[in-house]
Parts: sequence; C-alpha cells; structure tokens
Amino acid sequence: MNRITNWVLSSVLVAGLMGCGGGGEDRGAEGTGDPAPAKVIGYSKMNSNNPFFEVIAENIQAAAKEHNYQVRVVSAEADVAKQMDQIRDFVVSKVDAIVLNPADSEAIGAAIEEANAAGIPVFTCDLECTADGVKIAGHIATDNFQGGRLAGEAMIEALGEGGGEIAILTHDPAASCVKRVAGFDEVINTHNEGRASGTITVVKRLPCDGQRDPGFKATQDIITAHPNLAGLFAINDPGALGALAALEKAGKSDQVKIIGFDGQPDGKQAIKEGKIYADPIQFPDRMGQEIVHMIAQYFAGESFEPVRLIPAELYRQADGQADPSLQ
Amino acid sequence: MARLAPARYKQLALDYGMIFVLVALGAGFSMATIRVGYPEDGGAARALARQIVADFGSGVPVLLATRDSAEGAGFASAFRERLEAEGGVVVGETQGTPADARRSLEALVDGQTLPQVIAGPQAAGSDVFLPGSLEKIHPALAEVPFVHPPGETWPVFLTQGNLLNVATQIVVIALIAIGMTMVIITAGIDLSVGSLIALSACTAAALIHWAAGEGAPADVGLGVVVGACGAAILLCGGIGLFSGVMLTVFQIPAFIVTLAIMLIARGLAYKATGGQALGSLPDSFSWLGHQDVGGIPLSVLLMVLFYAGAYVLMNYSRLGRYIYAVGGNLEAARLSGVPVNRVLVTVYTICGLLAGLGGIVMASELKSGDPKTGQLYELYVIAAVVVGGTSLAGGQGRILGTLIGAFIIGVVRNGMNLTNVKPFNQYIVFGGIILLAVLLEKMKERFVKA
Repeated sequence: MNRITNWVLSSVLVAGLMGCGGGGEDRGAEGTGDPAPAKVIGYSKMNSNNPFFEVIAENIQAAAKEHNYQVRVVSAEADVAKQMDQIRDFVVSKVDAIVLNPADSEAIGAAIEEANAAGIPVFTCDLECTADGVKIAGHIATDNFQGGRLAGEAMIEALGEGGGEIAILTHDPAASCVKRVAGFDEVINTHNEGRASGTITVVKRLPCDGQRDPGFKATQDIITAHPNLAGLFAINDPGALGALAALEKAGKSDQVKIIGFDGQPDGKQAIKEGKIYADPIQFPDRMGQEIVHMIAQYFAGESFEPVRLIPAELYRQADGQADPSLQ
Repeated sequence: MARLAPARYKQLALDYGMIFVLVALGAGFSMATIRVGYPEDGGAARALARQIVADFGSGVPVLLATRDSAEGAGFASAFRERLEAEGGVVVGETQGTPADARRSLEALVDGQTLPQVIAGPQAAGSDVFLPGSLEKIHPALAEVPFVHPPGETWPVFLTQGNLLNVATQIVVIALIAIGMTMVIITAGIDLSVGSLIALSACTAAALIHWAAGEGAPADVGLGVVVGACGAAILLCGGIGLFSGVMLTVFQIPAFIVTLAIMLIARGLAYKATGGQALGSLPDSFSWLGHQDVGGIPLSVLLMVLFYAGAYVLMNYSRLGRYIYAVGGNLEAARLSGVPVNRVLVTVYTICGLLAGLGGIVMASELKSGDPKTGQLYELYVIAAVVVGGTSLAGGQGRILGTLIGAFIIGVVRNGMNLTNVKPFNQYIVFGGIILLAVLLEKMKERFVKA
C-alpha cells in the first residue's frame, strides 16, 4: 500500500516536472551525429526581476534560431554561488558555449576557470569578469564610461546655469556601474573647474543594488538629509524609478531632476511623461543578437574583435514623444 | 507489503522513506535528459585510431584536433599512440579553439602536407570541419572527412560527472543541515545560517588579506590560510553560542534571536570586505572546493565524514539522546535531569560552527569571500531538514533523512537546469516538490502506523 502511494505520488511529481519543462525543450540530438546535432548555448542571466536581462535572453533566443542553435536560459538571481552551480551544470551537460552576465565580477572567476578547463568557450555580456587568469572568448557591453559621460552632460543640461546639490545612486559590485559613475564624475568635475557660481556638488552617494526598492529607500534618506537636492543620477532604470517614487511621495519630483540609465520601457515612459529628465540608453536587444553572431564566428574559427562596446545614446522627453513603442 | 514486514523494517521505511522520492526524481530526470553524447575518453580515442587505419589504410596522414582541456589532452595522447602503433601518421595536431583548428589546417595547406582524415572528439573544431567550411579553406580539403567517435545515447543526469556535480552542489546545504536538524529536533529554528555563510567566507578572506599586509594575499602560507579559516569558523560558532545563550538565559524565542543575528551577521560580512567580493586568495585556499581524492571532491568527502560523525552522535551518544529528549518534551527532560540549557546552547553552537564551515567551503569554491552569498540558504537548509522527515514540532527526525532531503533539493535544482525548465517555473516546481515531498511523508506515516 505504502509503496503504491509512493509511486503514484512520485510519478505525479515527475510528470509535473516534465510539464513545466515545456516548449523549447532539448530533444536530444537527432540522428547519430550525421548531420551534426544542433549546438547548445547555455545562458545564465543576472536575475529575473530586471527586464533588461529578459530582453537580452529573448534576443539571444531569436538570433540563435537563425543559426539553428538551442538556448538554455537559467537565472542566477544575482547569487554568484547559484551561478557557479549553473555553469557546472552547463559544463557536465557539454553545452557548446556559455553566455553569462557575471553575478559578481570577481567571484565568478572560479566557475569560468572550470568551463575553461573543459574547453567550453565563455562569453560575457553587459557585465564583465575582472578575475585574474580566466579566458573570456568574447565580451559585448555598453560603453559604460561614455554612457556615464552622457549622463553627466544631461545633468548639466537639466540643472542649467544654477547648478546645485546632487546625489548618486550607485551599485559598486558591478564594474559596469562603477564605470558609469566614473564617466559621470569626470564630466561634472570638468564642468565645475574654474567656476565660481553654478557648480554642481555631489552631496551623497548611496548604493541602490540596481533595484527599485533599495533605490526608493536610499532616496528617502537622501532627501531627508539634503532637502535642497536639485538632481539625482541613478546607475540604472530600476534605481531611478525607485528614486522617482520616493521623490513623488515626498512631493519633490519637480524640484529634483533625475537622470537614469538603460532605457527600459518603463524608464522611457517616465521620460516621456517628464518624470525622469533623460537616460543614456543601452541596447540590450543588440547585445543579445551580437553575442550570438560572435559565437557563430567563434564556431566557424573566424577571427573577431573579442571586446565589442556599443555606445550609449541620450534619450530625452522629445525622443519619448516620438517613440512609437510607448503609449 | 510494508505492513507484513517486521517492525524494524517498518521503522526504517518510516525514517528513510524519502529515498524512494529521491530515486523517483532521479529516474524522472534521467528519462528527461536522454541525449546523444559524444565520448572524449582514451578508449574512444583508441577505437577511433584503429577504425581510421582499417578504413583508410596504414600510412594515412591524419590531422588530430581536440579542445584545450584535460579530456582533450588525454584523447590526443591515447589517439596518437594507438594510431602510430597501427601505422598511421599524425601530420598535424591542434588543441584549442575552432580558430586554432582553422589555423593548423591552413598551416598544413601551406606546407603542402594535406591530411586525408581529420580526427578528434565530436566537439573539436566545431563548424570548421563541416564539409562546406573545409572547402573554403582549400578546395583540396573538400573531400577530407572529419571522423569522431560515434555518439552514445545516455541520460546526462546519470553521467558520473553530473552525479558528482549534484553532490558538490549540496555540500554547503548538507553540512549546515546537520546542525539545523539538531536545532529543529529540539523544536527550535536557526535563521542566521545563511548570513553566517557570508560572514565566515568574508572573515576568512579579510583575515588573509590583513595577514598579507603589504604583500600579495595570494602568496600567504598554508598556516595563515588554515588559521584564517579556523578563526572564521570559530567566530560563527561563537555567534551560535551567543544565540543559544540569548534564547536559554533570556527566554527570547529562537525565531527572533536568530532573525536578529541574521541581519547582524550579514552587516558584519559586508563590513569585513567593504561590500565587495574579496578575491586574489592563495591557491591553498581553494583546495577544499577544487581538489579531489580518487575522483571524489574533497568537499564531498568532508560531507560524508561529517554525516558519519553526526549519525553516531545522534544515535549512540548521550548528547544525541538529550537532544531528542529536549525536543520531545522539554519539561519532562528537565525533570529527568537532562541539562536542558546546556543541550540547547551546544546545539546552536554546533549549528553556528557548521554554518561557518559551510561558508569556508563556499568561499573555497568561489576562491573569494563574497558578502552577497548565502542569501535564502536558511530556507534551503530548513527545506532539506523538513523534506528529510524531521518534524518542526521537535522530538523527531533522522540525520540521514536530512542527507536524503539535501540530495532531493540538489537533484531538483540540477535536474531543472539540465532539462531547460524556465527560471520562473523553477521557483514553482521547487516549491511544489518540497510541498509534495512533505505531503508524501505525512501520508506514508499514516499508512505505516495504520
């Protein structure tokens, strides 16, 4: 009796699992090696709560279809230990290439070394791996330093001759976000040089984890301490939207000009409505497509530039009004 | 059937019935991951070499291509040895990326020593060895075949590499689950273990950086590494001891004490490394997470060792009996002379020490101390304990059941990654499996008792 229940319930478990496997399932290789089986790309994305990475995933899948590659997408949820497990799973199932957004620029190195040791090429996109001694076959990202400079220029434009106090919502664990702030700082410092009045002063830098809720809380603290805040730069859209919510709650959304980063749909919508002043926008769709083309070049043994930076572009309210993708 | 079995077997089934679930899951994932795999081992290489000489005659010029990996190197040496023994000739050898394979082909074309056959594992050379692609490199290569060992149909889940993978992936959870099982048997809970993982990892990394002073942290001696890891584990043990004291002396509920410790420890971990992951640690630091003995990873051996010790402790020692007694009925235990407070403090200290050890294992795997790691691990650990049949009400539970519980969690996580379950669905499946496993346990209990 007991054993029967076991089997019945177990089969329910397993059946449920298979059901959730759903479409896009690996069917295994057709035939016995002739013609060559479809190549498999494993993609470990950063997290599931930032639509940016979902756009990358969708475009990787779309581009992979053209090349007849299969794609397996998993999400690290910003946990580098989980990402390491996922890479190990890719390695044992012998995928042909691995794409990832490193959950931590440094700590993911050990996992990439394991893929290197198995001879499986690793491609990074958006975020880079800075660990020593790892082999990265290719990397595609936004030119984050240039994007940060654009954000600085937008801030100067938004504040005008008056200048004022500004704050920055940072996310230092990601090297890409550090570069954005560096570019931003450079432009603001150049602007301030030799200027007696109308300088722009960074009064506070707080981490926002690149997410809405921490951005909201950090901004609440910032405006409590600095009621005269005139501007705020957030290193991505979720951070900027969190800041916007905090400013709206405090009734200060007109006083504080927000510059975001990314150009995600809800970020663009807020720009169109004049709630965020401008974003240097990234092109996650191009990132996803170009990483697959880079992988195809790798498979074909062609030579290619291993690091490709896509310049950011500034997106203001007028761009939002002309944008057919927004309501 | 079980009803007719002697009481002892009945008890065994009650204690370790979850193993059926584990086996069923394993069978399910095996079926779901049946794929054609291409062997890359020495045996396949030798068979391929023999086949080539048989098909193309002795003296056949061969280009040998493998990937730049340990397996690739093994394939290459086995193949070369056998081919030369059979009278074949390796005219070119390439170990590396498809681009390397293309370059070596081009070099052969330039040197006018065209191979008649290209041989290697299926993945070597990738698209470079497709007929159309070869023709483009040089028209004379159009007819040159790429031969590789034939594919074998086998469930990826059941490969040796993957099973070791599952074992390696659960080490941290399983180690801490030993302590958590003891805590839960005393009808307590410890929510701080996830943060203690990060605290331990960061403390060890920060101590190594501190000990290195002006020098490179990667060059510190083994003594420093062992000392730093020991200190980190002891720190976590001390924090566990503190939790135990708070909840026995001041009667604060374990849930609240360990919730507070969870926050404090996470904050301390961030402080220890300044918010960043601390890397560039010495190679000896990564031994635990990357070395193996006879093919079995060190961390897995450590886990087995600890489970053996915990099994003896829980079943054959006085402390073990006391832990069950305290959880079964605290007042009765106190009246019969069990040093209840000392038992509770000991249990939370053990849990802290094991969380510290788990943190060291994780840091060793990642070769860095990352303050962000270990989030939600308290829940995975508790899930492993509960799925393993330990009752949250206390007094009941088996340490080996917990190991099975940890394996169930590891198998589900690994299996979902292998079978392409979408990230959103992974949460749903994972939660569903925990629920169903516990439900099954409950139903089985009823049947066995009936």
